[in-house]
Formats: sequence, structure tokens, C-alpha cells
Amino acid sequence: MEGYGAFLLFVLVAVAVGLAHAVLNDILGPKKKDPLEDYPYECGVPLYDPEARGTFKQGYYLLGLLLILFDIEAAYLFPWAVVFKEIGLFGLIEAVLFIFILTLGFVYAWAKGALRWQI
Amino acid sequence: MLVDVVVTLVKIGVLLGLVLGVGAYLTWLERKLAGHIQARLGPNVVGPFGLLQPIADGIKLLTKESIIPRGADVPVYYLAVVLALAPAVLLFAVIPFGPGFELFGREIKPLIADVNIALLLVFAMGSLLVYGTIFSGWASNSKYAFIGSLRKAAVIIAYEVVLGFTVLGVVLLAGTLSTVGIVQAQVERGVWFVFYQPVAFILYLFCMLAESGRVPFDIQEAEAELVTGYHVEYGGMRFGAFPLAEWYLNVMALSAIAVVLFFGGWSGPNILGPLSPYFWFLAKMFGLVFFVLWLHWTLPRFQARDVTEIAWKIMLPLALANLVLTAVFLYLFGGE
Repeated sequence: MEGYGAFLLFVLVAVAVGLAHAVLNDILGPKKKDPLEDYPYECGVPLYDPEARGTFKQGYYLLGLLLILFDIEAAYLFPWAVVFKEIGLFGLIEAVLFIFILTLGFVYAWAKGALRWQI
Repeated sequence: MLVDVVVTLVKIGVLLGLVLGVGAYLTWLERKLAGHIQARLGPNVVGPFGLLQPIADGIKLLTKESIIPRGADVPVYYLAVVLALAPAVLLFAVIPFGPGFELFGREIKPLIADVNIALLLVFAMGSLLVYGTIFSGWASNSKYAFIGSLRKAAVIIAYEVVLGFTVLGVVLLAGTLSTVGIVQAQVERGVWFVFYQPVAFILYLFCMLAESGRVPFDIQEAEAELVTGYHVEYGGMRFGAFPLAEWYLNVMALSAIAVVLFFGGWSGPNILGPLSPYFWFLAKMFGLVFFVLWLHWTLPRFQARDVTEIAWKIMLPLALANLVLTAVFLYLFGGE
């Protein structure tokens, strides 16, 4: 119960806390509605485009792709870091090779301009 | 078994009460601090020294009308609040506030989940926070919220990567992912890991500021242009949940993790008897929290392009170099 069970219990409690924050206003707040109160704000004029979820810069998409690459690499390195003292030189060389290949990908992305903030 | 469940529930209750209460009072501290930094008084009307201000704010937020913007994606709109708050609270599950102690013949550890993958859980929860941001920006049907959420997602994912590689240096030294194990490794050596990993600590500090949307990396909620970004269409306690999670809970949790990783957790001279580990842990943690608040009201902010380019082009190579050098030194000198 000190381990994952306790964590699971905490997940339930945390989700309950989040839900409480989300719905309490529906219960406690005033119910009278104003005809324009839910109109999306945009500089105080009628909306030019009522749908806000349009296109967005593809730079965000590229950064998202890079995250997948590097975050998974970092996840692979976690177990290596834990057992590093036991596997010695073999582990060191393996990891340096791994990080070297990772760096190659990084340099490629940099040279291609994927890291540049695109306007 | 039943006793275990009760003990865990009591621990969760104590932790939640402390975390949410202190989180609420950090709003008072921040406003007071900001006031004095800017040569004002800060809140001073509600109660002595304005001390009842967070309670007044909470009651006000709770009794506000529930407004959902036109064209919003309603289920996602609600889900975003849960996904913003729950992972921020869950970050505290693996933080050891002190060593285990005996109570009525049972060993009680002052942390909720003593698991051996504690740091991985921290990263999992840190990544889940992105969903709260993205969902809130997407569901609100507002251009400010949408742009703010995209910016914040770009910032969080960039610094999440750096954070992962930064922490690996400490994991190499300690040889474990368990937060208790990392603190014990520092207690046994008698030295804090910040002295072995100064570069990692500085990178961690920057990542902490970026992840919790603090100055100088707060472009995603730039008040002047995006009117605080992704949660602009939220009202009442739903609005309260986002800054609470992001600015206060996240900062506290990441400061506590920093104390565990770099500042020896609860270690320190015995000055208060059995309470002294808790005192030291909280003193270090709130020292860092204070530092973050101080920065917030002192520095200007970076542009969006600077924020992402600093992460990818400067901090990531530094973190990788730090990791490789740590591994090489550890192999050559055996970690001493």
C-alpha cells in the first residue's frame, strides 16, 4: 500500500479535486443568463471569424515531432543511468554511441532549420 | 490492509490540505512580495496584513457564474480543468518530506507513494500537464487562448526534453530513480549533488521556470498581448484552477524535486530534534519558491523565438555534454 496502490488512490483523489474545481461554479454560481455573456472576446467588435480553431504555424508541429524523438531517447537512457555502475565500460561505450547517433539527428534537424522559430 | 488504506488516506488528506492551502496562500505572498518589490503595499485591507485575502478570493471565485464561451467544446472545456490540476497535485505523491518514523509500532514514511520509478512518474505527470494546456486552448474557441496554448505547449515540450537529460546526471550519481534513494545517496556521501552537478542544477532551474510559466519564460501568457493566454475564457473557480496548478503547485512541486535532486532533501544539522528534517526540507523548498517569485517580479520576458531557441540550441547541447561528461567521470573515478 506504500507503493502503486497508494498512488492509484491519490490519482482518484486528485481527479476528484480537479472535478470539484470544474463543476462547483455550476452549482454555486448565479443561474441568470445574459444573451451576449458567452460571446468570445476579440477586441470588442463582432467576430470576423467565429471559429478560432483554424490553421496554426507548422513550426509547432515540427517542434512536436522533435519532442517525440528526444523524449523517447531520454526515456531509454533512464534505465541505463540506474544500472550504469554495474555495467561499467560496456555501458559507457554503448551510451556514448547512442548519444552520438542522437546528436547526429539533432545536428541534422538544426542544419535543416527545424529549430529555427518560423514566422 | 484496512489500516494501510486508512493511513494512506490520512496522508493524502494532510498533503492535499497543506498543498492547496499553501498554494492559496502563495497568492497572498506573491502579491505582497510584488507590492514591496514595486514600492507598493500589496493587499492590506482584508484582515491583518491582508491575510484573509486568499479566503475572500476563494469565496468570490466559487460564487461566480459559470460561463462557457459560445462554440466551445464543452466536455473538453471541463476536462481541461481536471487535466491541469490533477497532474500538478500528483507531482507531490513522490516527494519525501522527511525520513520514515515509528508511530504506534508502525513505520510511516512521510510520502504517499514510495516507488522505485518516482522520477519517471514526475516526468509522466509533467508531460500530462501539456494536455490541460492544449485542451483549454482548443476548447475555449478563442484566438488568444489558442495561440497561448500552442506557445505554452511548444515551451513545455522543449524544456521537458532538457529536463529529462538534466536529471539523468543525478540519476547516474545516485544509481536509482527513487526519490528516497536519491536523498539517501546524498546523506551517505555527506555532500549535496549540486556540487557534483552545478551545470545540471542551473539547467534544471531554467526548465523549472519554463515549465511553470514563470518569468523570464512566460511568453505564453504575456498579459499585454495575450491577456494571460490559454485560460482567458475560463471564469470562477475554473479560472482559479489554472494559475493555482501552474504558478503555485507546479513551482512548489518542482522546487521540492530540485531539493531532492540537488540539495540533499531533508539533510541538515539537527536543530529541532525530530522535526528538523521537515524544517530543512521545507526551508530549502520555500527558499527556491521565493527565488522564483523574486525573479518573476524583477526580470523582463523573452520573446517566443528566444524561449524555444534557447532550449533547443543552447540548453539541450549543454545537457547532453553534461550527461556524457558525468558518465565518463563516473567511470574513471568511481563516483567519488
